[in-house]
Amino acid sequence: MDAAHIRNFSIIAHIDHGKTTLSDRLLHRTGTVATRDMEDQLLDAMDLERERGITIKAHPVTMLYRAKNGETYELNLIDTPGHVDFAYEVSRSLSACEGALLIVDAAQGVEAQTVANVHLAMKQGLHIIPVINKIDLPHANIPQARQQLEDILAIPGDEAILASAKEGIGIEDILEAIVARIPAPKPTDAPSFQALIFDSYFDTYKGVVILVRVTKGELRAGMQVKLLHSGRTVEVKEVGSFNPKPYTRDRLEVGETGYITANIKSPREVKVGDTITDPRNPSAELPGFQEIHPMVFSGIYPINTADYEQLKVSVAKLQLNDSALTYQTESSVALGFGLRCGFLGLLHMEIVQERLRREFDMDIIATYPSVVYRVLMTDRTEKEVDNPAFLPDVTYIETIFEPIVKAFVICPGDNIGDIMALISEKRGEIRHTETLDARRVMLTCKIPLNEILIDFHDRIKSITRGYGSMDYEPEGHEASDMVKLDMMVNGEVMEAFSALVHRTKAEARGRTLAAKLKEVIPRQQFQVAIQAAIGGKIIARETVSALRKDVTAKCYGGDISRKRKLLEKQKEGKKRMKSVGSVEIPQEAFVEVLKTN
Amino acid sequence: MPATPAGAEPVRSLYVHVPFCAHKCEYCAFYSAPPSGDVVNRYVAALVRELELIAPDCRPNTIFFGGGTPSLLTLKQWETVLLAMERLGLTRAGEWTVECNPATVSADKAKLLRDFGVNRISMGVQSLDEQLLERLGRIHTRDQVFRSFDTLRAAGFENLNLDLMFAIPGQTMALWQRTLDEALALGSEHLSCYEVIYEEDTPLFAQLNAGEFDVDEDLACDLYDALIDRSSAAGFRQYEIANFARDRRSNGQGPMTKAPEPQAGELVIGNGPLDLPTFACRHNVGYWRGLDSYGCGPSASEYVRGLRAKNWSNTTLYCEQLEKGRRAKEMAEALPPLGRAGELAAFGLRMNRGWGFAEFTVRTGFDLRAGWQSEMGDLIRCGWAAVTGDRFHLTRAGLRFADSAAERFLRPEAL
Ligand SMILES: Nc1nc2c(ncn2[C@@H]2O[C@H](COP(=O)(O)OP(=O)(O)O)[C@@H](O)[C@H]2O)c(=O)[nH]1
Ligand code: SF4
Ligand SMILES: [Mg+2]
Repeated sequence: MDAAHIRNFSIIAHIDHGKTTLSDRLLHRTGTVATRDMEDQLLDAMDLERERGITIKAHPVTMLYRAKNGETYELNLIDTPGHVDFAYEVSRSLSACEGALLIVDAAQGVEAQTVANVHLAMKQGLHIIPVINKIDLPHANIPQARQQLEDILAIPGDEAILASAKEGIGIEDILEAIVARIPAPKPTDAPSFQALIFDSYFDTYKGVVILVRVTKGELRAGMQVKLLHSGRTVEVKEVGSFNPKPYTRDRLEVGETGYITANIKSPREVKVGDTITDPRNPSAELPGFQEIHPMVFSGIYPINTADYEQLKVSVAKLQLNDSALTYQTESSVALGFGLRCGFLGLLHMEIVQERLRREFDMDIIATYPSVVYRVLMTDRTEKEVDNPAFLPDVTYIETIFEPIVKAFVICPGDNIGDIMALISEKRGEIRHTETLDARRVMLTCKIPLNEILIDFHDRIKSITRGYGSMDYEPEGHEASDMVKLDMMVNGEVMEAFSALVHRTKAEARGRTLAAKLKEVIPRQQFQVAIQAAIGGKIIARETVSALRKDVTAKCYGGDISRKRKLLEKQKEGKKRMKSVGSVEIPQEAFVEVLKTN
Repeated sequence: MPATPAGAEPVRSLYVHVPFCAHKCEYCAFYSAPPSGDVVNRYVAALVRELELIAPDCRPNTIFFGGGTPSLLTLKQWETVLLAMERLGLTRAGEWTVECNPATVSADKAKLLRDFGVNRISMGVQSLDEQLLERLGRIHTRDQVFRSFDTLRAAGFENLNLDLMFAIPGQTMALWQRTLDEALALGSEHLSCYEVIYEEDTPLFAQLNAGEFDVDEDLACDLYDALIDRSSAAGFRQYEIANFARDRRSNGQGPMTKAPEPQAGELVIGNGPLDLPTFACRHNVGYWRGLDSYGCGPSASEYVRGLRAKNWSNTTLYCEQLEKGRRAKEMAEALPPLGRAGELAAFGLRMNRGWGFAEFTVRTGFDLRAGWQSEMGDLIRCGWAAVTGDRFHLTRAGLRFADSAAERFLRPEAL
């Protein structure tokens, strides 16, 4: 297809505002999928994606649309992950597009997640077509939705298309707007063939399937192409598009999106955002490439220590389709062998843990998550620390910088007081407050990432009885008075509980942890001291008093067998005990505390 | 039941379980039920049948009738059992104990038992405080204890045991000391003292779980210390975690004219701290030394030539099986030699005298010093055990952690 008849676009929407329903409508209306093949939610392939209503991988799909002007256009919809954890992937997918549909639920209005994604799309220079969806709902409030588009996102409200994806209203208008308002792709001025890799996935038979957008020249099977960042040159085996199932084509022309395969077995050789080009006469790389940097780290351990090998295999398999996930072996006295995993953000972390549990049937426990700190040393060198266990000795540290995010919280006006209190408890700073409509306000704040790792979102949900929403985008690092809090048992540090926390939070956290540990550490034949310490300084202490006896009173002929079995079970259990500072602690105890963290 | 295999010794120990109690105590997890209707007669007949089956392989040096409440059998029923035992040649035991409830002792019964050769009575006293007796759901009064004691002495019993319990919910140190002093003053030859155990499926356990009271472990430890100190001041020697006995020469009150003669070679009676006191219960010592023993009656356990077995804990089922002429075993397991040796090492340490190295090798075929060297070393290092002469034994501190010690000596991997 000539570039003038190609439109590449994505869809931005808050969960449940109708992205999937609308996509399905578009596929149907363009005849890409016959009605009888329609199954609910065509694009969200993974169970987890369907259940949580989030897209994790990009799903491109190619449609042919005969417009009112009589001409046929190739519309490439690139369904992008809808969460800022995947902001980089989203930005790469968006850069394969020239425009985006912004869907807003007519009854709900603009939500926090939409704000962060619209900002990303605008940064990419995409043309945005606002769509007010669900106008069929009795409590749809179209004027208010238009107003919010203008007030919150600075998008002219009268440009919005009114639609009901469910009822099939406005679908035609949307297709026409895509053709009319979104610019056709323009070739770059590269000297040779050039394409952008915007995602990839792993196929057991074909190897890595690379999703590409051609920015110059054309792609055919049999061509030699070079992946600039990974440096590999490969032969293209297959070229195709999705409808939404993959189908082969003889070529992809400039401006088109689709996939290639090249017998690549290791997904890590294919980097999202990389450029592929002609190896003999390479074009320059496309802008915006980044190596992926995990933002959040956490140790993942099998509950049953014998499952470590299986955990490793499972995580490796998961990584085939999730190259943003990083891991390396880690071991802890408390939990045995496990993997220290790096995630793009909170949601990514949850998804990985959930998939390990569900798809791989692994029983796992995760340690307290850590963000990545920048540590300026006294010799002016800088280190990145993602594991508190590896924080250099404080005497060599000049300053610790912690990652900061800009967070958007949308909540009912009634809850604003509680939400502000929550934000300040979390060391956040409110930048501004906007009234969205009669009921809702949006708070924009600056907040340390480490403060929102654990229960920020849950607490917003509970304060607002489910009506609040939250999203965030990274905003660099800031100097911060962070200290390393260690938990010790009889003088020995248990790394699984070490964390970098702000000085003002250290004591409270130390006390809580010490009290919890006291509950779960069984009494020993000697006294056990549980201490929380910053550097060498003890800030909280609990004592588990010594057992004075463990013997049960009687044991005669009839009791011996039962008693033996009991003791044997105990002995078996002790094999799974971890010895910390000569204190025997069952692994379950650690798990218990980590769970309630 | 086959007779003793050629070349083997007949079994020298016999336990008989009498599964009836007038009323269930709050803490009790033993198998017992109220003696309703004709079930007791049916049981007596079945028991006689079972005794007939094992008799060809049993020449008991020690017999123990436990329960339940053996003293609940009527004179007539006792006579049936005793006559059968006489006929079967089971009555010549050097030590023959019958457990009695202070509420069910009568002069006639005492005399009958004594006449047939029973020479030791174990009385379930538990406490001498009326309120605590009530708390435990015991059916007897404190006065019945004193009266029964006199009745038994009058019938000629010269070896009496009192069972006491401590750490009963509501029991203070003062209450315990009073019970202890009064019990010691009675002048029995033997004392068994247990800390209350909370067994699942007992009312006491349910009350504990429901938060009706708390367990005060420190108090329990103090009560135990008081027990050790007072009983030894009164001439008792502890020979096992919960068992105390007098020596013939220690001049306590009471008659103590005739002590049972030592029988099995390994029961060394003497005055040394690691020797057994004269009135140690030989039957129970046999368990801790790993001697073979038959067990008859519902829920009874036995250990005979490497096979551990247990009868059904169901009197009707028990009777049905024996009426068909076969024993009523619920399970039987063979213990491999190392597993059994581990078990004996473990439970033998409950006795103050621990294990003589030679003695252990004779009983198990294994050398304690070779197979359990590191365990012994660990316990010695933390002050829980010592080697004295050629014996390995727990210390006073170690006896408080006998379960931890036992756990180390077990060899589950051999099972
Ligand atoms: N009434 C009404 N419901 C809609 C409309 N579009 C989508 N829905 C419903 O809204 C829910 C979420 O839709 P979905 O397409 O999964 O949203 P997504 O999370 O953005 O993909 C589903 O129950 C849809 O049936 C619409 O135009 N009108
Ligand atoms: S008398 Fe003994 S066996 Fe009977 S219920 Fe009481 S404790 Fe249990
Ligand atoms: Mg969806």
